[in-house]
Amino acid sequence: MSAHDGETRTPVPLPVARFDDPHLMEAARNPRQTERIIAVIMLVGIAGVIGFGAAYWQNSTPWILAVTLGGGLFFLGFGLTAWGKYLMPQGPFVEERHPLASTEPERVAMAAALVERTGVVVKRRRLLGGLLGGGLGIFGIVAMFPLLRSLGPVPGDALDETNWKKGTYLVDSNGRRVRSDELEVGGIMTVYPAGLENTNAGQAIDETVLIRVQRTDFTTLKGRETWAPLGYVAYSKVCTHLGCPVGLYERELELLVCPCHQSMFDVRDGAVPQFGPAPRPLPQLPLYVDADGYLRAQAGYDQAIGPGFWERTNQGNGTA
Amino acid sequence: MRRLLTNRHLLPALVMAAVGLGFVLGIPSAAGAAGAAAASGTSTPSAQSALSAAGEPGAHTAYHSTTLPISLGSTLRTLINDARACRAEAAKVSHPGPPNTGSPVGSSRVTCVNGRIASYGDSAITYKALPSSYISVGESLFEQNCSSCHLADAQGGPAAPSLIGVGPATVTLWVSTGLMPAATPLTTQAEPKPPRLTHHQAQEIAAFITSLSPAAPFIPSVNVKAANLAEGASLFALNCAACHTITGAGDELAYGTNALSLHTQSPTQVAEAIRTGPGNMPVFSGNLSDSQVRDIVAYVTEKIQHPTDPGGAGLGGIGPVAEGFVALLFGVGGFMLVCYWIGDRA
Amino acid sequence: MSTTETTETTKPRTRREAKRSRGPYGRVQQVVDELDDRLGLARGGRTFLDKIFPDHWSFMLGEIALYSFVVLLVTGVFLTLYFVPSQATVVYHGVYKPLDGVRMSEAYESTVNISFAVRAGLLMRQMHHWAADVFIGAIVVHMARIFFTGAFRKPRELNWTIGVTLLILAILNGFIGYSLPDDLISGTGLRIGYSIILSIPFVGSYLAFFVFGGTFPGHVIIDRLYIIHVLIIPLIIIGLLSAHLGLLVRQKHTQFPGKGRTEHNVVGSPMFPTFMAKTTGFLLMVGGGLALLGGLAQINPIWQFGPYEASKISYAVQPDWYMGWLDGALRIMPSWQWTAWGHTLPWEVFFPAVLFPGIIFNICFAWPAIERRYTKDNALHNLLDRPRDRPKRTGVGVAMIALLFTLFAASSTDVLANFFHISLNEVLVFFRVAVFVIPIVAGFAAWRICLEMQGVTGVGKRKRAMVISRTETGEYVAEQSAPRPGDGHHELEPVPVPVQIELEPAAVGAAVGTVPDADTSGVRRVNR
Repeated sequence: MSAHDGETRTPVPLPVARFDDPHLMEAARNPRQTERIIAVIMLVGIAGVIGFGAAYWQNSTPWILAVTLGGGLFFLGFGLTAWGKYLMPQGPFVEERHPLASTEPERVAMAAALVERTGVVVKRRRLLGGLLGGGLGIFGIVAMFPLLRSLGPVPGDALDETNWKKGTYLVDSNGRRVRSDELEVGGIMTVYPAGLENTNAGQAIDETVLIRVQRTDFTTLKGRETWAPLGYVAYSKVCTHLGCPVGLYERELELLVCPCHQSMFDVRDGAVPQFGPAPRPLPQLPLYVDADGYLRAQAGYDQAIGPGFWERTNQGNGTA
Repeated sequence: MRRLLTNRHLLPALVMAAVGLGFVLGIPSAAGAAGAAAASGTSTPSAQSALSAAGEPGAHTAYHSTTLPISLGSTLRTLINDARACRAEAAKVSHPGPPNTGSPVGSSRVTCVNGRIASYGDSAITYKALPSSYISVGESLFEQNCSSCHLADAQGGPAAPSLIGVGPATVTLWVSTGLMPAATPLTTQAEPKPPRLTHHQAQEIAAFITSLSPAAPFIPSVNVKAANLAEGASLFALNCAACHTITGAGDELAYGTNALSLHTQSPTQVAEAIRTGPGNMPVFSGNLSDSQVRDIVAYVTEKIQHPTDPGGAGLGGIGPVAEGFVALLFGVGGFMLVCYWIGDRA
Repeated sequence: MSTTETTETTKPRTRREAKRSRGPYGRVQQVVDELDDRLGLARGGRTFLDKIFPDHWSFMLGEIALYSFVVLLVTGVFLTLYFVPSQATVVYHGVYKPLDGVRMSEAYESTVNISFAVRAGLLMRQMHHWAADVFIGAIVVHMARIFFTGAFRKPRELNWTIGVTLLILAILNGFIGYSLPDDLISGTGLRIGYSIILSIPFVGSYLAFFVFGGTFPGHVIIDRLYIIHVLIIPLIIIGLLSAHLGLLVRQKHTQFPGKGRTEHNVVGSPMFPTFMAKTTGFLLMVGGGLALLGGLAQINPIWQFGPYEASKISYAVQPDWYMGWLDGALRIMPSWQWTAWGHTLPWEVFFPAVLFPGIIFNICFAWPAIERRYTKDNALHNLLDRPRDRPKRTGVGVAMIALLFTLFAASSTDVLANFFHISLNEVLVFFRVAVFVIPIVAGFAAWRICLEMQGVTGVGKRKRAMVISRTETGEYVAEQSAPRPGDGHHELEPVPVPVQIELEPAAVGAAVGTVPDADTSGVRRVNR
């Protein structure tokens, strides 16, 4: 290949195009004027980039940075593209498309290599082939171990349980115990099991909405006669659809609405979904008022809270 | 007021009197409250004690007056007498509730004038009574604008609920935001519109309605200067954003109801709404203290209503919907126009 | 730039002779020689410089995506310098006062700091986010062009497959990147993602626990997503992108039929210099446009949202637009849960969020095969279809786009209800119907319109005045008027890229020797 061993290069005959070939002419009708316009555009771009440098140095506000940087880049690019579009050889040019396919003998040779060599290697030595395959298979299984042992715990009963127990105090986000005279009718607050108000578990799993729907006791569903003392009713705040916090309460409609996908739960009727994609009622937390006037849980939730999953049993579904 | 506060003898005397009285009468938890009050420079009895004392005729309670146009020169005994009358008044207010709910019962600072409660609240929010001089004008305004639905004496009718027992804050909020008088009665939700009556007229109507049956909450005056914005933002996210959205843009809720945009309300209106729960909005009473309400109000009126938007145009604060629209229309669409220009063989 | 040659084995006698020994192209020739000795790149390089790019504007759509990706890489590297992928709790005491004293994760704190304390940090953050939105939008538009013109047909099925994979990866990485700041909105999105994984039958809860390291939110997810977002998926994207472009070069561009264009050639502009100028300029323009968006239009103001806490929520929480169709599907899905034998199949989540996108993407992957089976057309295709000439394919494509956009619109039911003052419930019910009706109607309409357009001459050509005249028998005849002078582009006959150009007549030719016109294999003179 090399042609430069210190000797004078022999002239290589290469096809040449004349400078005035129309394909090499620029597309612009008035190239000089076009060049001037593009020059101005590029100057604007350069000014923008310089301005960005200055703005960055001065730690300017984002919009100044954006106008200088964005304008600078845009106009530089605009000028360059316009140069390519108007002042470079207008073409059109053509290139031949050579078939990608190989010849028939080459194809056969490839297939033959794959089949015959595999036969030579594997079929004659079935034992070694089997060992190799088996070994790789075993490694594949072993390679799953980190997944099972290290990435996370196995679920176990974790999805079925909350930290609400018999007698747990209801506290607000500051850890203050909630008294039975706190809410007015039509009031709502988010409560947590005492001591867990600022933990991941308390926030994501145990979060519960406490609503006062009337001044006297009332019943949401059969079997829940004692669950709502003084008209206080508590539902899991974790939507049974996708786990968003159901924090949207409409007082006159007495609906809890999930802000994410607009499932609507009837507060007076055991939070049975009236509308939307949620498939199950929000689990209800049974409450009682203790001798000091504090609200406490009669027991934990009677079912798994939150969205559905394969191992979720059907118990506690809608009724106590 | 100013003269009183700057009087360096009176202030310690009042604090000492309050603490002393509290201890003498065995008021539970008075010390803590008094300590807090001492820091803010006012006297206070315990909130709980006021509630319990209301039911016990023998107990002495100290409702100290801090704005004393009439009792400036009077004795401590007059003060207490005044407070008794005041307490009787407070008992008539049909808004019993837990502390800090916007009710005088349980407020750390109650001011009485002529045996009537002139204001209550604490350093965060002062709830002020409307002057009785408003009542007569309010009555005629009520007859012109409200009585066709709510009927005379605000007893309520087929088209509108009774207003008996509704506090001044509720009435002022509904009228001053233009929700009332309703354009179409009996709808799911009154539509907000430019208010027909002025804020002053709203207060006059409120004064009239309250005169029929004394009720709380009074008109809140929020001390936003002392607010903690970070706390307000956090409480807003927990209590308000679920309906009003995190940017306060408001949105459509279930069955044709909606949460209003929070971009125009005054601090008083925001506080009124939180304390009274207009329409479908829940009532935030016992679970939010006055200082927490103040923080939320400050966050709404300072940050939500005046977003700094350091990143450029705010796009209506409705998030990814508007952002996607801009990205596709101006971003992808704009670049496609550039493509078209590049590819076009002129 | 020293003029002495240190690497030459033989010493040149004079500078002039040395120059002469390199031939007429001087030092460039020398560099080419040296490289070619080692890499043999002269032949392939020259072919590459001659590669022809069709001039049609729709061939630039993929470049929007490519250059958005470049912007993503550059701004992304900037962001990695300041972002802390950690869920450890800290108390913020930075420059943004409304968050002063608030407990938050380090991820959120560092994102707030990028926005307010890092020089040009907010611009870079917003550019990154806008670039992501535009990146995926450009991929979709590019993909639509490929689909409707039949550019995916043999021999390009593999490249179509790579493209669909790139789209999926881009969407996935967009969602993950959106989740990293650990703000209130993105945390909610992450929780939805967790619940979607939970919904998978048999293995859902295990998968969710392995991904999140336990119950949501856990302490590891941001860290894990971070490495996926900045390393793993970008590497795969870069690899596949290289393959995408490599295949493009190997198989050469498709082109629309036209003057001088056949199945066996490509007509357009050469890589160097015309296309390179245009495309480099376009890179700068895309970068500039994204910078303008990044500083003039606010995106994802996480400081307003506050840090993520699982019990807090904002209404009107939509994901970024490219996830909108999944969110819309989740919203309008009826509450169909299957329970039996102590097990639950959350069909209301599993179908719209797992099965449905799986079906959609598998249709995309399989489409070339589906079409080949249907048309029994196994030939190689380099010339593109006009969409109207393939009414059925166009109809299917339009129906698919209509379906996805209906679902996308369904993800903003609340915004639409608010905007048009309709009940939210009615809007949701409307979309449950519309998701079936609109695609069918749109697909059918597209199919009909294609058929109609086939019957009309001159559709899609440059507009000229139509002259309608009435014959003596009363018939009306429409005819195109003659082109006006200067109207319309007279395209030259395409020629191969010339190997050499007479820059100054006699200078080049004298040195190398001019080859007569007659025996040039490449150059055809066009005399006009």
